Amino acid sequence: MNTQEIINLFEDALEIEQNSLSESTNLSDIPEYDSMAKLSLIILSDDEFGKKLSGEQIRDFKTVGDIVKFLSAD
Amino acid sequence: MKRTFISGASKGIGFALARRLSDEGQNLLLQASSDEGIDRLKDQFGAKGHLFWKSDFTNPSSITNELEGLLRDFGTLDGFVHCVGIRSRRPLSLFQLEGMQAVMNANVVSFVETMRIITKRGYFNPGLSVIGISSISAHVGSPGVTAYAASKAALESSIRCLAAELFKKSIRVNGLVCGQVNTEAYHELMSSKESEADPVLQRQYMGLLEVDQIVDAICYLLGGSSSQMNGTMFPAHAGFLS
Ligand SMILES: NC(=O)c1ccc[n+]([C@@H]2O[C@H](COP(=O)([O-])OP(=O)(O)OC[C@H]3O[C@@H](n4cnc5c(N)ncnc54)[C@H](OP(=O)(O)O)[C@@H]3O)[C@@H](O)[C@H]2O)c1
Repeated sequence: MNTQEIINLFEDALEIEQNSLSESTNLSDIPEYDSMAKLSLIILSDDEFGKKLSGEQIRDFKTVGDIVKFLSAD
Repeated sequence: MKRTFISGASKGIGFALARRLSDEGQNLLLQASSDEGIDRLKDQFGAKGHLFWKSDFTNPSSITNELEGLLRDFGTLDGFVHCVGIRSRRPLSLFQLEGMQAVMNANVVSFVETMRIITKRGYFNPGLSVIGISSISAHVGSPGVTAYAASKAALESSIRCLAAELFKKSIRVNGLVCGQVNTEAYHELMSSKESEADPVLQRQYMGLLEVDQIVDAICYLLGGSSSQMNGTMFPAHAGFLS
């Protein structure tokens, strides 16, 4: 999955408009990025990428790009 | 010698209960779903003469096919404690039919199917006491916990119905409503949570429960001192629901 596809998946999970986020968007500037959205991210990471995402890792993410980097790393 | 069947005996509450009852000299039928779970049981109890059963309760037909044969070898039951409980946290937008079915099967359908078999004539002793481990999730809604909470609420309802149906056979059926308990599963859950503090513990004002406190409550429900209790949901939630 390329960067844009991952961002679109994340937008889907947050139920926000497609292509409204970029890698540099700060997570703290996204009102929809609440605890349910974080739970969705944990599940997407597991379902779609087979990667376990811990609460600690989630708390370290600052930008959308951090999430993309984590999900696309080998 | 008393005989008790513990489902989900390889970890947490079930494991601690198995240790307690084994120390008291009971004969146990101990179930787990994985090879690691069965190995753990054999390591701990291999020399005690208990019976071990590997079975995946997300597919309850394994109970239908295997439990009667096991009980014929094991003997008539005095107690059954259903500790198997799959947790699930998933927002509705990521709901999966198979996931919810697996949770319902393991947490409640397997309980009812086990009850059907163990309450047949010849498989239990009068006074059989049954306990299903429920959760505060059955009583208070929180986002993302739909499947687990629904399964525990269904478990509690099935316990009340079975209690009313089975008392004529001298069988008692009760539930234990647990708050957060200091188990491996609890710590796993917390490490996967997005927030650092556990919001449940703010409401569970007497603090995190220790496994031995839960085992004390189960032993009370199993034993003769609770002989008048049937169809109840015994509180073990350290104030959460008060
Ligand atoms: N811990 C808490 O804070 C808490 C709070 C409220 C309620 N409860 C309830 O208490 C019960 C025990 O929880 P716990 O945390 O002590 O133990 P746990 O870690 O959840 O242990 C689960 C047990 O069930 C077995 N199991 C797992 N998946 C299974 C499956 N598909 N089929 C059959 N068996 C399966 C496991 O065997 P393997 O080892 O082989 O996988 C293990 O023996 C559960 O019903 C839970 O819902 C716990």
